[in-house]
Amino acid sequence: MSAGPYNYSYIFKYIIIGDMGVGKSCLLHQFTEKKFMADCPHTIGVEFGTRIIEVSGQKIKLQIWDTAGQERFRAVTRSYYRGAAGALMVYDITRRSTYNHLSSWLTDTRNLTNPSTVIFLIGNKCDLEAQRDVTYEEASKFAEENGLLFVEASAKTGDNVEEAFLETAKKIYQSIQDGRLDLNAAESGVQHKPSQPGRNNLSNDQQANKDNCPC
Amino acid sequence: MADVLSEIVLPEDLKKFEKIYHEQLYRNDVTPKAKFEYAWCLVRSKYPADIQKGIVLLEDLYRNDVEGQRDYLYYLAIGNARIKEYAKALGYVRSFLSIEPGNVQLISLKENITKKMQKEGQRGIFVAGGALLAVGALVGVGVALAKNK
Repeated sequence: MSAGPYNYSYIFKYIIIGDMGVGKSCLLHQFTEKKFMADCPHTIGVEFGTRIIEVSGQKIKLQIWDTAGQERFRAVTRSYYRGAAGALMVYDITRRSTYNHLSSWLTDTRNLTNPSTVIFLIGNKCDLEAQRDVTYEEASKFAEENGLLFVEASAKTGDNVEEAFLETAKKIYQSIQDGRLDLNAAESGVQHKPSQPGRNNLSNDQQANKDNCPC
Repeated sequence: MADVLSEIVLPEDLKKFEKIYHEQLYRNDVTPKAKFEYAWCLVRSKYPADIQKGIVLLEDLYRNDVEGQRDYLYYLAIGNARIKEYAKALGYVRSFLSIEPGNVQLISLKENITKKMQKEGQRGIFVAGGALLAVGALVGVGVALAKNK
């Protein structure tokens, strides 16, 4: 985590989802550290990363929850979907099975997030052209049919990684500007201007609200 | 939101996995999966008693289920750090890293725990300072009272 708690005006919550071994953690690492992890072990449960970016002159802190792809974590990782403003859904262009499972990931995402959540489809490992198992056209069509943003990227070379994270933020920011995203809704996944350090914790605040509820 | 040491499980999630675990417990047929899912929620509770309970379950899993040991170690570290048992938490991190030295997830957890310790160390000094001031004030009051007599 970098810098102090004050130098940004928004916090966006992201989740990264997709089958095991598609490179979710490597994408996150490439985005936050600008480095490629060659030997990436399976993520346990969820991993967390942050980075401050700029969209239309506004500093935005991305809080990114990178979920484990292994099936045995699936039941609990589902609870991290809630309140995500952006969802990066990843498959591996060299393994068709990871592409075939997208509809199940998409169903989960739609069911567990809100209608304004921006879903970005990422075909990772596009540096491995020789082993390609899913064509760009096919995935692009799937994305279009389902109203998803789409890009092929490589966590290894860094190609399009930055773009995917930034485009998602731009789209979210646009929704805020257009008034389509209600900042006051607890599950919007967006927080505006944290005022005090230590209070910028959405789940704590939600919890507090629930506890104060007289019902 | 925040990070792995401060995010809070939603009460309905905790309840959901608690129910599954208790149903299995009632049938005397608890799977490591149900036990782990419940423990994973417990260690993310805002109540230290829940976290303690989660730690007990994870310790039991660690002893009896070889398959998920790296997961159990990781959440044992998180649970202990959340109830400020930092020495224990760092011990679990060390055991993990002795098996998988380069694991980025664990290295970052270690940094987070250390940061949390430092932060609380500073707060500890403030509290001690505040207590000293209070003692000073009491002495002052005592002296004033003595003078009045």
